[in-house]
Amino acid sequence: MSRWLLARGLHAVSTFILVVCLLFFLMRAVPGDPLSRLSEDRPMAPREIAALRARYGLDQPVGRQFAAFVGGALRGDFGTSIEYRRPVTSLVVDRIPATLLLGGTVLVLNFTLGLWLGVRQAVRKGSRTDRALEAASLSGYSVPSFWLGLLLAWLFAIHWRLLPPGGMHDLLLDPAAPAATRAWDLLRHLALPALTLSLVSIAATMRYQRVAMIEALRFPFVQTARAKGITEQRTVWRHAWPNALFPVITLFGLWLPVLVTGSVFVEQVFAWPGLGSLAAGAVSARDYPVLMGTSLLVSGMVIIGGLVADVLYAALDPRIRHA
Amino acid sequence: MHRTPFVLAILAAAACSPAAERPAITTAVIAVGESAQLPVPVLLSSSGRSADAEVADLMFLRLAALGPTHETSGDRGFEPQLASGWTRRDSVTLAFDLDSRARWHDGQPVTARDVVFTFGLARDTMFSATLSGLLHRITDVSAEGDHRVVVRFAQPYAEQLYDAAFHVQPLPAHLLQGQSLEQLLRSDFVRSPVGNGPYRWVRSDAGKVIELAADPAFFLGTPGIGRVLIRTADDGDARLNMLLAGEADALMAVVPPLANVERVNATGRLSLVPVPSTTLGYLLFNQRDPTASSRPHPILSDVRVRRALVLALDRRAITHAVLGPYGSVPYGPVSSVLWISRISPAAAAPDTAEARRLLAAAGWRDSDGDGIADRGGRPLRLSITVPAQSTTRKAMAALVQEQLRQAGVQIDLAVIDGKIQGERRKAGQFDIDFSGATQDPTPAGLTQSWTCHGGSNVAHFCDAVVDSLITLAIVSPTPPNDLWTAALDRLEADAPAAFMYTPVTVFGVSNRFAHVDIRPESPWVVLWRWSVKTGRDSARSR
Repeated sequence: MSRWLLARGLHAVSTFILVVCLLFFLMRAVPGDPLSRLSEDRPMAPREIAALRARYGLDQPVGRQFAAFVGGALRGDFGTSIEYRRPVTSLVVDRIPATLLLGGTVLVLNFTLGLWLGVRQAVRKGSRTDRALEAASLSGYSVPSFWLGLLLAWLFAIHWRLLPPGGMHDLLLDPAAPAATRAWDLLRHLALPALTLSLVSIAATMRYQRVAMIEALRFPFVQTARAKGITEQRTVWRHAWPNALFPVITLFGLWLPVLVTGSVFVEQVFAWPGLGSLAAGAVSARDYPVLMGTSLLVSGMVIIGGLVADVLYAALDPRIRHA
Repeated sequence: MHRTPFVLAILAAAACSPAAERPAITTAVIAVGESAQLPVPVLLSSSGRSADAEVADLMFLRLAALGPTHETSGDRGFEPQLASGWTRRDSVTLAFDLDSRARWHDGQPVTARDVVFTFGLARDTMFSATLSGLLHRITDVSAEGDHRVVVRFAQPYAEQLYDAAFHVQPLPAHLLQGQSLEQLLRSDFVRSPVGNGPYRWVRSDAGKVIELAADPAFFLGTPGIGRVLIRTADDGDARLNMLLAGEADALMAVVPPLANVERVNATGRLSLVPVPSTTLGYLLFNQRDPTASSRPHPILSDVRVRRALVLALDRRAITHAVLGPYGSVPYGPVSSVLWISRISPAAAAPDTAEARRLLAAAGWRDSDGDGIADRGGRPLRLSITVPAQSTTRKAMAALVQEQLRQAGVQIDLAVIDGKIQGERRKAGQFDIDFSGATQDPTPAGLTQSWTCHGGSNVAHFCDAVVDSLITLAIVSPTPPNDLWTAALDRLEADAPAAFMYTPVTVFGVSNRFAHVDIRPESPWVVLWRWSVKTGRDSARSR
């Protein structure tokens, strides 16, 4: 097992190094000068633009820029944002709590409600509940998240005025307010973005879980368990369900990066101050340092997600680690 | 189990706003699309962001402010600010008397030393090449005692006061003197600026919110709004939702789309405030071959073709279709905020017959009956580059394409990322570029794009007569209306571009505010004069 784990870990590290190289050089190859945004509102003299280019190291050959980036990254310094004029590390650290909160909430809702509903559907396959949930999940899966976000914002924030339309905190809330008040304020702001992302992701999880569970319920050992008189509840959750988790583990691996990226569109629609909106702004501004910082974080999470999924597979199925 | 009461309880609780709030201070929340990163005068010219200037204008005063007429020529269009008055000693010397009541937010008095120090930075090409360029006609700035500043100019001209007052907002010498540019950019002052205006800096949460508080000792009068929160939301829909839901009190550029007017009006809590704009949209005709800039453009170097393209367009119909009543067609490269827009004639009406005649005179006729003019077997085919981020220009470009097709011109639309469009424009790689420009309040800015050696003249338009008319208008010691009109006439005749629209910026503002005054050159510069209507101060003081 440890040898397998070591090999898998080395594979992940080499993938990450390859991703770093690709990201860095591809970003420089994309048309669009990061400094052009600074000069689009007000005219700037060529000399000023040259000084800015030197300040951000953009006047150096790409190879030297890469060496400087790698050297800095190894020390935990991803450079200074051209847009925000702050160290990328501090910007990312600043945005991570909001993203983890949103992504974590969505992940928990997704893998509790989604799994539970998927199992319910499979157990009652063909029933009215199954058909209704199937239609709901298909709709949820089909609806673009940004459109759903706009719809929910209009309904809950503008039409009914029940929830705030965006942001993470009420700007007028006293910072010295009791913790419960601040928590309640945070929950109100979290509700709409989390609901938007959850509705879409739960739909996907439900569909995966339903199919896998229907397969699992057909296994002979499930029939045996029923024949032995084990309760249906126990048969489903103790015997069938663990065998229906494999596709969901893959899904979990894919969803893990969402924990840090959130959803770019949903974060923007709800002005949620997370990494997704930071990355989106960096793309349009060609803010290379921020783009590299956020992209590496996402790439790292994708690789870690894949690794976690593999390890879970291996833990659940010895055939994989001995293959 | 009865779930309905449970759900209702949750919804009711959700509807309740948090109970504990700050003590009642009248607050205005402004939703913006871009956060200010360097709201410090002089230094902000190296950031190039209008967001920085908008926040700086709330904290830092000028010697004199541009008044609502935006007349930059002569002295009439200005209002006293840091300077309580000014006198002309001769045709090249202006003396400003500083208001002795003016104070920095740390309590120190604003002195002539601060003004001289700041002009020193602004005229130093190491600090700001752009700003020093704008101030090149100022030869000397000196102090006479603590409260008098004398500015000397290289020559007599009509915009001396504008140059001395508009570009430079004094910085506190006692906090900044002796620092290099790098030291300044890394200083605490940049993170927490100390100004002399109606609002003082409180905090910034990077990219999310900036908080300013009214300075109760502000010498021109106590601001009517105690606190300003400038809230950033990248997405236009998110900003509009904040305004509609009452989470923001003011929002710039509600239109386009026009449908937003109805949405804002439907709330009954918001007012639309139209303000003249510094923006101009135009189809820029490249006069050099995009593939080899040493050669003339094979089609657009001919003035007859350029004029035909302008006449083939019903620019009023296009502008009205996209902007409704919130836009007009300019005469020449003149946004609605420039004072010369008031002395300009109306833009030419469309004339398809004349357009066809001009094209035929240039050799472009539809010889094969396919509806597209051709010459020597080649169709009259041009591309227009359009920035994907601009809703207005994208919508207009589709109408332009159709109208030019009817005149026998085949147009290929290239809707591309704004950054890439900008790079192609600078490199001269375009036939027609749907450009947008934000203009300074002075018509002197026309030199940038419309004179032979203008720094932004990417289309290589060059007419010596236009150059000399603009130069004469700038250096004229008296308001040079005739010179500007002649320059604009000549520009219209040369047709270096089809000047498509100058919009009216529509602001959405909560109607609990009174004395709402929004200025085109910087929207919140007189926010301190706003107040909250009696009885409209809600429990949340919003």
